[in-house]
Amino acid sequence: MAQILRVNMTDLSISREEVPAAWHKYSGRAITDAIIYRDVPPDADPLGPDNELVIAPGILAGTNAPNGGRLSIGAKSPLTGGIKESNSGGQAALGLAHLGIAALIVSGKPADPSALYQLTIEADGSTKLDRVDEWAGLGNYPLADAIKATRPEDDRYSAITNGPAGEMLARSAGIAVSDPKGYPNRFAGRGGLGAVMGSKGLKAIVISDKGIGSIPHADKDAFVAASRRFTEALKSHGVSGTGLPMYGTNVLMNILSEAGGLPTRNFSSGTFEGADAIGGERQRDIILERGGRSNHGCQTGCVIQCSRYWVDTAGEYVTKGPEYETAWSFGANCGVDNLDKIADLDRACGDLGLDTIEMGAAVAVAMDGGLASFGDADAALALLNSGISGTGDGRLLWDGAEAIGTKLGVEHIPVVKHQAMPAYDPRSVQGIGVTYATTTQGADHTAGYTITSNILSVGGVVDPLSPEGQATLSSNLQIATAMLDSLGLCIFVAFPVLDIPAAFTAIHEMMEAHTGETWTADDLMTLGKEVLTMERLYNAKAGFTAADDRLPGWMRTAELPPHNVVFTVSDEDLDSVFSFVPETAAAMGLS
Amino acid sequence: MNVDVALFAYLADYQPDGLGGRAPRSFALEADATIASVIESLGLPDEPRIVFVNGKHAEEPDVLHEGDRLAIFPPVAGG
Repeated sequence: MAQILRVNMTDLSISREEVPAAWHKYSGRAITDAIIYRDVPPDADPLGPDNELVIAPGILAGTNAPNGGRLSIGAKSPLTGGIKESNSGGQAALGLAHLGIAALIVSGKPADPSALYQLTIEADGSTKLDRVDEWAGLGNYPLADAIKATRPEDDRYSAITNGPAGEMLARSAGIAVSDPKGYPNRFAGRGGLGAVMGSKGLKAIVISDKGIGSIPHADKDAFVAASRRFTEALKSHGVSGTGLPMYGTNVLMNILSEAGGLPTRNFSSGTFEGADAIGGERQRDIILERGGRSNHGCQTGCVIQCSRYWVDTAGEYVTKGPEYETAWSFGANCGVDNLDKIADLDRACGDLGLDTIEMGAAVAVAMDGGLASFGDADAALALLNSGISGTGDGRLLWDGAEAIGTKLGVEHIPVVKHQAMPAYDPRSVQGIGVTYATTTQGADHTAGYTITSNILSVGGVVDPLSPEGQATLSSNLQIATAMLDSLGLCIFVAFPVLDIPAAFTAIHEMMEAHTGETWTADDLMTLGKEVLTMERLYNAKAGFTAADDRLPGWMRTAELPPHNVVFTVSDEDLDSVFSFVPETAAAMGLS
Repeated sequence: MNVDVALFAYLADYQPDGLGGRAPRSFALEADATIASVIESLGLPDEPRIVFVNGKHAEEPDVLHEGDRLAIFPPVAGG
């Protein structure tokens, strides 16, 4: 049975705990939530010793389930002040699963605030904490090289690392996870979890799973049959089988601009005249022209293959993607129409360890406040890099869009629960406004991705410009997403799952065949509701009320061109999204 | 009447001039021409599509009007 590994940074002890019996169906986001709900006082200082950083793979990680190796990282967020689950690709979930670790808890805080540690988990299960003070201030890329130099040449390992922004406790610091080639380019980006890791003096976690094969199943034949059906569904759907592998996530740029939902120049317009220059089609052409590869998986076992590397004119690796969110945040949102400039900003965030969504939003707010001109990518990069000094506007930028916008007196700061909105304007895509407003995570598109029905005609059609049906759409997607995040499945499987009934059936068949337990369709949805219930109850205890489930007021008054619309979903509808929580809480015995 | 037609992702290869790209092309159409008639004349593959007219979702039987911008995407998504 998988165990919980606890690393106490106060006394530097490492111990193992059994997974409580009540959590036998919990993994990924469900288990990070359950641990935080149990262990972390809702009034805890997010950067103090009472907070815990919890890192968990899904139940399907380490198996041959396609796209089953996502990693959940949770804590009380220093950005939102609420519970946080930030979800990443990369190799680490596979490594943890191979070693039988259901969750890794990092608790406490070292007495010496300047001490830096690396946690190493070897393939034989042995663990150790080493001082790595000499790596202070090291960016994620040189850190990856430094770690590599300490490992045997024939090792197979993954790394979870923290850049300078996390060490400096920046509230937009993310945690890097290594990809199949060892680049530290996959991120648990949102909510400042890098600052939590930094507060605990942890610079790196290295997980070796050399020589460990696939995890056994309760019923291997049934698992192989179900996972094969799941793979077929993923490959047959137009989105996961063709669109995503061919163009990557950035294929969204042109369609959002066409629909008037692409936030441009700090959410002042819904279309960007430079969208095509920074969109997925052009990105693919440039990568191929430069001799790069246009698609690969961000982790072993991915059959969608939406990742890509950006290369310079000499064909040398610069950074991943850039993904749609980053191409938008530093592109359209900052008025920048050059993918090489955007890639440089992405690389800087990757090395410093900063959330690209929050940073693009913060730079755009700073431009709105007069610190630089829209379109000036060089000024954006200089401002971003200046945060390393630890003072001034650059450092404030690292604390997010709200922090820099408040200082500059900017009128339009696009945040909910202190976290910046991603790449969809809620005035012209009203469903995502419901998700931004109500999710426990702060403004977050992945929490309930209504772009499916609002824009992409996946899983039905709901008019993006009307308030009708948006709350129900968001509620259902938030439940489904919490479920997928709690199995370790990539949320991009949702596109075929929403359209192909056999794909959904294959999920609970894989779960049954792998675990030997009964997993019905209802069980999957109950799991999603339980996850959201823990999060809602935690946030309520941390002080959140219905007033926090709202968009900024200007979204109801400032018209967004080209459709000249405002957000019109009623407060009553917003407050209906979590109407299932009291009943689920009662069934769980929580209050 | 004249209508601007923009094709995205791999559908760009179906622009009649063979030049590809996402820039819109002006099409001279009969009055009351529908979106479906444009799709048929372009020979787009028989698969789900996402269609916008002037930035709003449209159905393929819908009639086009002078000066409309028609944009057609294959199934795409991301996040």
